[in-house]
Order: sequence, then structure tokens, then C-alpha cells
Amino acid sequence: MSAPIRRRRDGRYAVKLDPSVRAVLVTMSEQLSPLLGSDDPMTKRLFPPAYPTAGFEDAERDYRALVDSALISHHREAFAVLAETSNADSLSEAELHSWQSAIESLRLVLGTRLDVTQDMEPPDTEDPTAPEYALYELLGQLQFLMIEVLAAELPDEGSSEGEL
Amino acid sequence: MTHTRPDLVRARQTEVAPVEAELPDITESQITDRPWLVIVWNDPINLMSFVTYVFQKLFGYSKEKATKLMLDVHNKGRAVVSSGTRERAELDVYRLHEHGLWATMEQST
Repeated sequence: MSAPIRRRRDGRYAVKLDPSVRAVLVTMSEQLSPLLGSDDPMTKRLFPPAYPTAGFEDAERDYRALVDSALISHHREAFAVLAETSNADSLSEAELHSWQSAIESLRLVLGTRLDVTQDMEPPDTEDPTAPEYALYELLGQLQFLMIEVLAAELPDEGSSEGEL
Repeated sequence: MTHTRPDLVRARQTEVAPVEAELPDITESQITDRPWLVIVWNDPINLMSFVTYVFQKLFGYSKEKATKLMLDVHNKGRAVVSSGTRERAELDVYRLHEHGLWATMEQST
């Protein structure tokens, strides 16, 4: 049995996922994308403060004015790429990065809504949050698999310059 | 992959204050010279392997160094992941925010 996500010899990434998993990713992306840039508290985690220190309120306001629209476009583009390629058998590396980025955003929002804590136990099956928690876990497993294949392409010894 | 990124450096350059012909204020210049630290905070959502991956990818750190920083974040609650000028720190914070990490910046004391 081959891994759900694996790098092919031609440099593309084979994606073997159940259609129901693909559908849920698209549905969640479609729900979250329009909320970006709204005051919805569930999206707050996608826009952390740069200057939390007291006395830097002006710097924080300037930072927000400078970056928020770019952050929103970045996240929306990842959702759009995921939606466009949701049924593909293989992805380019750039597309896989977009999937990974979209899944990261979905996890941050779902994790905020579930108020997850470090090493928390999954809720009981009768718990009303159980289905959402199961989705959160699924996203975590997918992201883990994607990071595994993407990280394998980075040199262990590092490089003088990171990605700019 | 297209990459939209605000022009942080240019935006800062427009804020350069006019040179004052007063007595040099040594305290002021010392404050300005202190490097800015980029800090990543622990959060219960991000996967450990993902945090390590982001440090390797963004900063070009070795897997060993990136793992050590990730474990510092995990065990101590925060870690300084880069430092430099205010412009550089702000750009690094932005790149970490793009990747979903909880990053802030502060001037070293």
C-alpha cells in the first residue's frame, strides 16, 4: 500500500485521498475564506499581534495596516488553489504548499473554536464537539503527512539563506 | 506560487525622521542600536514537525538547530528565532504569520 501523499520521480506529488476527505476540505475552505478580514473572533488566530508590548500600540496599528490585506490574500489564494485542484491525482510542489497552507489555516480556526489545549483528550463520542474534533484530527494527520514529504526536500544541514 | 508581501522596508523608509542639529543624544542612539528579537510562542495547535519545518524553510537553519528552537518553544513557552534591525525583524514576523505561527517582536534589553 502506498502512502496517501508521496513525491513522484518527476517531482510532482501523488495524492491518494478519499473523495469525501477532498470534499470536506473544499467545504471548510469555502466557509472560512469569506470570513477572513471580518471581525469574526474565530479568525483572530490567523492575525497575531507583532507588537504585543505596552507602549507599541502605534507600531501595532501600522503593522496591521501594512500586512493584513496581504495576509488575507495569501490565505485566500491557498484556499482557491485547493478548491481548483481538489480532485487532482497529483499536485505540483507549489500546489502542495497551498494545500498545506490552507489546511494550516483551517486547523488554526477549528482549534480556536474547539479551544484545544496541549495534550487534551479527545471528547467522548456523544459530546457535541466530537464531530468537529474528529475533523480537527483529520486535518492534523493530513498536515503531518504533507510536512513529512515537504521537509524531506530540505537539506538537514541547512542553507545560508532561507526562503525570502 | 505567487507571493504577495507588503513592502515593509519601503514603508519604514518613508518614516525616517529629519536629522536634528542638536547635541547628540547618546541614550537615544543606544536605544536605536539595540537589536530587535523575533519571538515564537508556544501554542497548542501547531504541530511540532510543522514548526521545525517552518524554521528550516524560512531561516535556512539546519534540522538540528530548527528542532532545538522548536523544543525551546514547546518546553519553555517561547524562543528567539532571529534578530536584527527593526525592518528585518518585522519582515520575519510577517513571514511567520503567513505560516500561522504565533510570532512577536521586541527590542532586546
